[in-house]
Amino acid sequence: MEAVLWYVLTSTRGGENRIRILRTIDERPRNANKLAEKLDLDYKTVRHHLDVLAENDIVADSGDDYGAVYLPSDRVRNYWDTVEEIMETVE
Amino acid sequence: MVVWVDLARVAVVVNMALLASLIFVWGRNYYRLRSKHTLGPLLFAVLLFGENALALYFYLLDPLLSVWFSSQVPAPAWQGMIALHVLESVALAVLALVTWD
Repeated sequence: MEAVLWYVLTSTRGGENRIRILRTIDERPRNANKLAEKLDLDYKTVRHHLDVLAENDIVADSGDDYGAVYLPSDRVRNYWDTVEEIMETVE
Repeated sequence: MVVWVDLARVAVVVNMALLASLIFVWGRNYYRLRSKHTLGPLLFAVLLFGENALALYFYLLDPLLSVWFSSQVPAPAWQGMIALHVLESVALAVLALVTWD
């Protein structure tokens, strides 16, 4: 999981925005629309990042409809020290 | 008559282009994060780029080797060499795909 986190969050083109998304939903769960607003990103971009993050079990969503809110997954909670280490690098 | 040395040159240039796209992403991420986890992939890509640049130099510019590669290397040897270059191209394409996603 550490390797996945480092790769998805720091070694891909969208890594930096994925870190910002993770930090934002750690504050409180949000849906894709709210994330796009808050981070000033295109809705489709946010959707794509959330799909990648979900595919790698980094985030989980509350349900399958459009209003679904996203939050850090249970699994990522167990590796939160790694996430914090990564986040510290992009203050 | 296939000019094998040209195929090899093309494969090596493709590798260099794929590596350049990885160096771009990983270089930008290293510049922003400055962590050893982002430095590792960048160094890997830079060194592999150097390897391919050296191969291209041998195939294209080196006064002794380029002549030898263009005229003295038999087809079966080239086919083996090109298989190595093309496998590397496929490997790098896979890496570029997930990195750019």
